[in-house]
Amino acid sequence: MASPWGATNIERRRLLQTLGLAVYNLQGDSVPGEADYSATVRLRLDADFGVNGHLEGAQQGGETDYSVAGGSRYIPGLREAPLDLMYAYVEGRNVASGWLGFRVGRQYVSDVLGWWSFDGALLRVTTPYYVQIEAYGGLEQRGGLPLSTSRFEQQGIWRGNHRGFGDDRTLPGSAADYPSYQEAQIAPAFGVALESAGPSFVHGRLTYRRVYNMGPSITRQFPDRDGNVQTTDGSRISQDRLGYAADVNVPAIGGLKGGVTYDLYNQLVGSFFGGLEVYAGSRVTLGADVDYFVPTFDADSIWNWFTHDPITTITGRAAVDITREVDVAASGGTRMWIAEGNPEEFGAGQCRAAQLGPDCVGTTTLDPSSDSDLEDYARDEENRATTITTDVLANLAGRYRTRTTSVELRGMLQTGERGRRTGADLSGERRLSGQRYALGARVSLYNWADPLRPDRDATSFGYVLGAGYRPGEFADFKLEWEHDMNRLVGQRFRVVGLVNLRVAP
Amino acid sequence: MDARQDGRRGARRDDPRLVPGWVAIIACLGALALAIVGPEAAAQPKPPATADDDSADAAEDAEEGDAEEDAEGEKGAHPPPGGYRSGLHPMPDDAEVPLAWMPPGTSATPIPSDEIYPPQTLTIRFNHKKHVKGLKQTCKSCHAGAYTSGAVTDRLLPSPAQTCDNCHDVDHSDITQVKAGTNENGQCVYCHIGDDAGSGGKVAPLVLPHANLRFPHQKHVSRNIKCSQCHGRVDRLELATREQLPRMAGCFSCHNMSGAAQGDAKSDCDVCHLTRPDGRLMTEFATGDLLPPRWLHNAGHTPDWLERHKQVAANDSAFCGTCHTTNYCTDCHDGKIRPRDVHPNDFLSMHAQAARQDNPRCVSCHQEQTFCADCHRRTGVARDAPSAARPSGRRFHPPPAEWTTAPRSAKHHAWEAERNLNACVSCHTERDCATCHATRGVSGGQGLNPHPLGFESKCKTAFSRNPRPCLVCHQSSDSFLQRCQ
Repeated sequence: MASPWGATNIERRRLLQTLGLAVYNLQGDSVPGEADYSATVRLRLDADFGVNGHLEGAQQGGETDYSVAGGSRYIPGLREAPLDLMYAYVEGRNVASGWLGFRVGRQYVSDVLGWWSFDGALLRVTTPYYVQIEAYGGLEQRGGLPLSTSRFEQQGIWRGNHRGFGDDRTLPGSAADYPSYQEAQIAPAFGVALESAGPSFVHGRLTYRRVYNMGPSITRQFPDRDGNVQTTDGSRISQDRLGYAADVNVPAIGGLKGGVTYDLYNQLVGSFFGGLEVYAGSRVTLGADVDYFVPTFDADSIWNWFTHDPITTITGRAAVDITREVDVAASGGTRMWIAEGNPEEFGAGQCRAAQLGPDCVGTTTLDPSSDSDLEDYARDEENRATTITTDVLANLAGRYRTRTTSVELRGMLQTGERGRRTGADLSGERRLSGQRYALGARVSLYNWADPLRPDRDATSFGYVLGAGYRPGEFADFKLEWEHDMNRLVGQRFRVVGLVNLRVAP
Repeated sequence: MDARQDGRRGARRDDPRLVPGWVAIIACLGALALAIVGPEAAAQPKPPATADDDSADAAEDAEEGDAEEDAEGEKGAHPPPGGYRSGLHPMPDDAEVPLAWMPPGTSATPIPSDEIYPPQTLTIRFNHKKHVKGLKQTCKSCHAGAYTSGAVTDRLLPSPAQTCDNCHDVDHSDITQVKAGTNENGQCVYCHIGDDAGSGGKVAPLVLPHANLRFPHQKHVSRNIKCSQCHGRVDRLELATREQLPRMAGCFSCHNMSGAAQGDAKSDCDVCHLTRPDGRLMTEFATGDLLPPRWLHNAGHTPDWLERHKQVAANDSAFCGTCHTTNYCTDCHDGKIRPRDVHPNDFLSMHAQAARQDNPRCVSCHQEQTFCADCHRRTGVARDAPSAARPSGRRFHPPPAEWTTAPRSAKHHAWEAERNLNACVSCHTERDCATCHATRGVSGGQGLNPHPLGFESKCKTAFSRNPRPCLVCHQSSDSFLQRCQ
């Protein structure tokens, strides 16, 4: 992998292994609608032998060993072969004549509040009156804790295990070494949801979730003269959010869907989406969508309180089933970015406030924190009127599918003041001998431009060739060769091998 | 008739009928209102039971079209010149069947699913209308098996020896030695179609694959559900094809109850659909892959489904889980192996621009402070990269005069942060920002206020629930902080 400045500086040699076990129908024969119990577990070992692979001599092993080269290569939290338990739970469905369902163990919850994982218990009560109630509680899965990843935490806080660096690598390291790197602690969490059950033409889910941060956390980012850092302690909110999503459909006409989340800690609408679909005949679907998103972070994070604004996307789309085998979809729209103030004029205004000419931008340096006029200028509502920057979006997707052949095209364009990304992928797969063998290929052509870093503009061409073999339900094998080329990194190669083994398919 | 003919008729109903946009929007909003009023209002209208009232309609239809067959039976033992014309298609001359005579849900799904109802090969001509209206037979006369059937694998067609032979001049008692009589209606070619039907005592096989469903006819019959409520007005048709098989949208007329509703028609997928041992639906069939229709939670798996699926999953992830395993979701959403449909081949080179443009949204799969920043630290991009990984004299962002210092140019980092703060967080830690934005003094910053307008109205509540972020930049004795306490 090359750095932005050209030199190849890290390698990746990954071996991802997962081991899953699932046992179904613990109660005996499965009868639809009757109580059903199962247990399932999946472990993952995500080894990257490229970690430390580029370091030699005195720096060998330095990325994961603080004692090497004075920690000058050390990256807190980075591990060569992290092992995590993706999920492990016992589940009961349709218990008590369909009234109850439960899950106990490490599990996912996915709804308008996002894709989330916790260790604990979930209970679902389904009533015959079109509603079901769900309640869950436990500990959020957090990076740095045993068998856990950071994937499901809120954004903005770098957490992990401090053991392994500091003066003595066998002891918890000095917090002052990396004050932004917080020691992972257990995070109690709970949630409830009220959801419709039964009708197919309407569905809604009202959901609430709260997670707590516990234990000490470094606050001030700079040690005092004695090398000590300031901390705060105790339980405090990590996230506290409410969400609702619903859809309504009338089969011959169309549908309407929408969702919203409210961040109770930040006291703002964190996101909403809405979509309208109209069925213009049996082969054509027309639609319009809106997506609104404000970045929000763990309540421990300072970034919740930095000025930042929503990203709003509005698109229209059409999907056409040309034949049973061929369908296409196209969409287009705009994405809007907001800033508080006019970027083109704000600097000139600061120049005037500092009693300088309006063209002082780039020729002088001002210190707003020690100049009350500049501070007043920056806080004046008139100077912070909203300005909107737009990008134009377009997507085109099409495919041809039969039982043995598939060809897919995906093209995209996103262009505007914030740069451009455009390109397309064409991929195909052919399955032979009753799906026993598979051949696949993909070509990609993309071009991008970044106005902030014009030296990084490039056009990339890449292709993938692959072959698969499936001797039976118990196994399948796949091998892919990927070759990408662009002026920034020259040639990049990737080999991907995939082996799936099933004991009892 | 074969499956290809089936497809042609379906395709006719399937022709696009474009609706002006404003009409569609009004209709959709109206439908929403209907949906709010109640399930019954928005559900497919239930066709009236036809056991009794069919007779009145039958009278008006019975005369037309039957004369030909009556005449046929009285002719000699040879088919008329040009062959028989009735009973070959649902309607005379293969006309389109009126929507009102089709099974409920046909307007939403004009063509039956090949995965649920595999294509048939019909090598029989049969005039239902003549038998029901002209000959006063009931559905049960020929399909008695349906009244006791508990599974789709049960044979529901009449046994020719016990039903057909009662009227037709033929003896099917030994199916290997069928004896045709002298009357025309007892000849093989009177009912069996296909090349040389009956020659050498052989007829073309009738292929009627069973549906890939769980369906107990008996349960439905015992609840007084009439045949026409699911199959449409077969009594008005000549040949019944797979197009008269029920559509899922029609099933939902009744199947609208939750799993806890005892004795009522439940909407759980596994009530009707075949399942695997883990309880998920079987989706792969010899005739294709079973996919949800577009009208079910707007979940039509169109080519752009990848961009749209989040809205459906956010609302009803259990619905996704009826077909997909958890692994199917985690393969992309747990961010370990790059899915090429999401991140095309050379995404590594262009991901920086994609992240700036929030497309795709990184945080829907990645934790920025670890997944993104770990790599940025290793490559020396991040500001807190280890000292030996940091390239000297190199700068990722534009020069400080444009990017960092006041007065702010159009490329100043403040605008970028306001527009897409997540892009900053994928590299930077709090310490990077606190360097300037923390208060002066022991907090170590330069006192540059990053807060949005209106911040003061929220800070008291926020501080009471989590004081930690405030204390990163402010001392506890800070007068600004005290305003929020």
